[in-house]
Amino acid sequence: MTRIVLADDAVLLREALAAGLRAGGFEVVGQAADVDGLLRLVEAESPDVVVVDVRMPPTHTTEGLEAARAIRARHPGMAILVLSQYVETRYAVDLIRDDPAGIGYLLKDRVTRLDDLADAVRRVAAGGSVIDPEVVARLLGRPRRHSPLDELTSREREILALMAEGRSNQGIADRLVLELKTVEGHVRQVFSKLDLEPSSEDHRRVLAVLTFLKPE
Amino acid sequence: MQRTTRNLVLLIAVDLAFHLWSTFGPFLVWPGPYHWSVTPTNSAINLSLGLLWVAVLGITYVRDPGGRMWKLLLLSDIAAGTWALGYLDSPWGATLAELFGPLEAAILLHLVLGFPSGLLRDRLDRGLMAIVYTIVLPIQLLGLMTLDGDWNTLLVFPNDDLNFLLGRFGLLSPVLAVIAAIEVIRHWRDASPVMRRVLAPVAFGMPLVFLVLGAWWAAPALDRDDIRVFMLQNKIFDVPAYLTPILFLLGTLRTRMARGAIAELAMELGRGIPLGGLRDALARTLRDPTLQLAFAAPTGGGLVDSDGQPFQAPADRRATRLEREGELLAVIVHDPGLEREDSRFVEAVGSVARLALENERLQAQVRAQLEEVRASRQRIVEAGDAERRRVERDLHDGAQQRLVALAMRLDAARGTTIEARALIDAATAELGVAISEVRQLARGLHPTILTEAGLKAAIEALAERTPVPVEVEADAARYPATVEATAYFVVAEALTNVARYAAASHATVRVAAEGGALAIEVRDDGRGGADPGRGSGLRGLSDRVAAIGGTLEVDSPPGAGTVLRAHLPLEAVAT
Repeated sequence: MTRIVLADDAVLLREALAAGLRAGGFEVVGQAADVDGLLRLVEAESPDVVVVDVRMPPTHTTEGLEAARAIRARHPGMAILVLSQYVETRYAVDLIRDDPAGIGYLLKDRVTRLDDLADAVRRVAAGGSVIDPEVVARLLGRPRRHSPLDELTSREREILALMAEGRSNQGIADRLVLELKTVEGHVRQVFSKLDLEPSSEDHRRVLAVLTFLKPE
Repeated sequence: MQRTTRNLVLLIAVDLAFHLWSTFGPFLVWPGPYHWSVTPTNSAINLSLGLLWVAVLGITYVRDPGGRMWKLLLLSDIAAGTWALGYLDSPWGATLAELFGPLEAAILLHLVLGFPSGLLRDRLDRGLMAIVYTIVLPIQLLGLMTLDGDWNTLLVFPNDDLNFLLGRFGLLSPVLAVIAAIEVIRHWRDASPVMRRVLAPVAFGMPLVFLVLGAWWAAPALDRDDIRVFMLQNKIFDVPAYLTPILFLLGTLRTRMARGAIAELAMELGRGIPLGGLRDALARTLRDPTLQLAFAAPTGGGLVDSDGQPFQAPADRRATRLEREGELLAVIVHDPGLEREDSRFVEAVGSVARLALENERLQAQVRAQLEEVRASRQRIVEAGDAERRRVERDLHDGAQQRLVALAMRLDAARGTTIEARALIDAATAELGVAISEVRQLARGLHPTILTEAGLKAAIEALAERTPVPVEVEADAARYPATVEATAYFVVAEALTNVARYAAASHATVRVAAEGGALAIEVRDDGRGGADPGRGSGLRGLSDRVAAIGGTLEVDSPPGAGTVLRAHLPLEAVAT
């Protein structure tokens, strides 16, 4: 069973999350209210997945992001799902820039759908990447003057968005009810139009797409 | 005026009479052969020197009739006159000459230490003079009472041993002379630039005089009359007599020159001086480049400077208060040397500058009031910002978390019956809208990204939310929190207007620090014609910008796009 450590300073929400995760078939092995508690739990429990809120004491800004970085530095393989109250594309892109494997950034609204939450946890636990659709929508919807994105068909944009969310070709095919072969064709087309290096690994692909959408 | 002139004439006449007496008295009264030093040549020289002293006295009296200096000068000349009594063919004359003659040198020392006001500066000087006066008066009297001699009318009990002992006090004279020499040089060193000029002749000439006098006084106490003979034969004894009046005259004339500066100041003020130029004019007149001006604060009883900023006089400076009808007009903060030497000078300068000071005081008070209002406006803005942050935090920690948790619980309860499922789905959807609304409300109050990642990141996040392509040119520098918040709200309002009214296809946001201010420009290519007074958004913003000392302008010609520019000072004024 996938073992999870949970960190959020809001008790009510943390309990609700724990209940939701348990209902989704996960084992919640520890809960923390702050970064120090989280780091201790991670050392003690070696969980498969860490779910952490961005905003925690003492400054209530981006403690969760920093905790995520610290954990990844000590345990490079550990999957982390960061929850955020607000959509900040910058945080999402910064988070996966170093190493997108097993990293997720999800808006808190999303977790109210327990299925979506469980799906995201499973995907990061499997080493995939999860980017909240709202973040992707904001990145894609960001008004541009002239962009290769203008060349994409609406189907191709749809597929680009799902790639940016971290979904695999199979995942995209399931979501859009298409043949896998068709999806692969569209993906090639998108990469060619955006002049990106095709990548077989899903999380590398996420990074390439996000970097294209939000260059630093 | 008339009275002063009459007094001056009288004073000069009296002083001149004493000098004439000192010079020619011996010729008139001495029946026998003259002492070898009493020659017509010597007398002519003495009279010339006497005339110098008369000039010093006259100038000093005119300069400061209420002062002490001219009285000391007159007293010194009277004491000098008693020497000539020694030539009277009378024991009383000889006795009085012995008794009061030495007083002349003592008063001279007093004059030198107290120059130019006649007031002794500190305890060291007062102690020195106390010793000197004790030696020349009570001890001298005691000496005469014990000194055997048929000319001595004060003789009470001849006692050679006691008299010899008393005479030993003369040994102190060279020591006192050296101390006095050091003192006058120290006075010069401690003086302000303007007073140094006045003190210089006395400070550097008198130590020489003291050395000569010290040697002269020490000789009899050491039983070395040959020293006196040597000094007389080589004209060394004459040095003090020649040098002293010249030094005093030079010093006194320089005092008058310093006073002449007041006339110049009056003329300069009459021509009118630029705003803020008064301090410079006073500093020039008083020759104190470190001079400062302060005025009564409009409230609170403190002081403010010309710019209306709170002012505190440093402890090592002297403050001369200028009042009008009991009300404080201004405070001239100056070199403490200035007042010690001549407080009336500072006051006189203040009187001449009274009208200009009054003007400057009013200006300073208006500025101080303005500064208070500005500071209070800024405090209100800052308090508002803090309040917004607090409310945002409360929403985030409270309502938002509760609503999300509630939505999760509801989601978990789905799927019992089809009916329940439909109800719960509807409730969840409703809840989703509520969560979204609360989120937008909280974010509008204060975006966390602004505090955490700075202006550039926050503006980029704004740009992403704007339905028109927005180019952001900014660097990642951090600025004071109030400036960042103000800049953020300016850009947010501008982009909202671009999206709502401008019908633009593109906008640019530029943020850059330029010469101590943050320059913000939001430019679009829309239809222009924006009315800066429209809506409360921009007006509220321009109040906010003004509160931190900035400016906001909107340039929006019809058909040519809109440019909003804001300048926010970074050195946001002390809070």
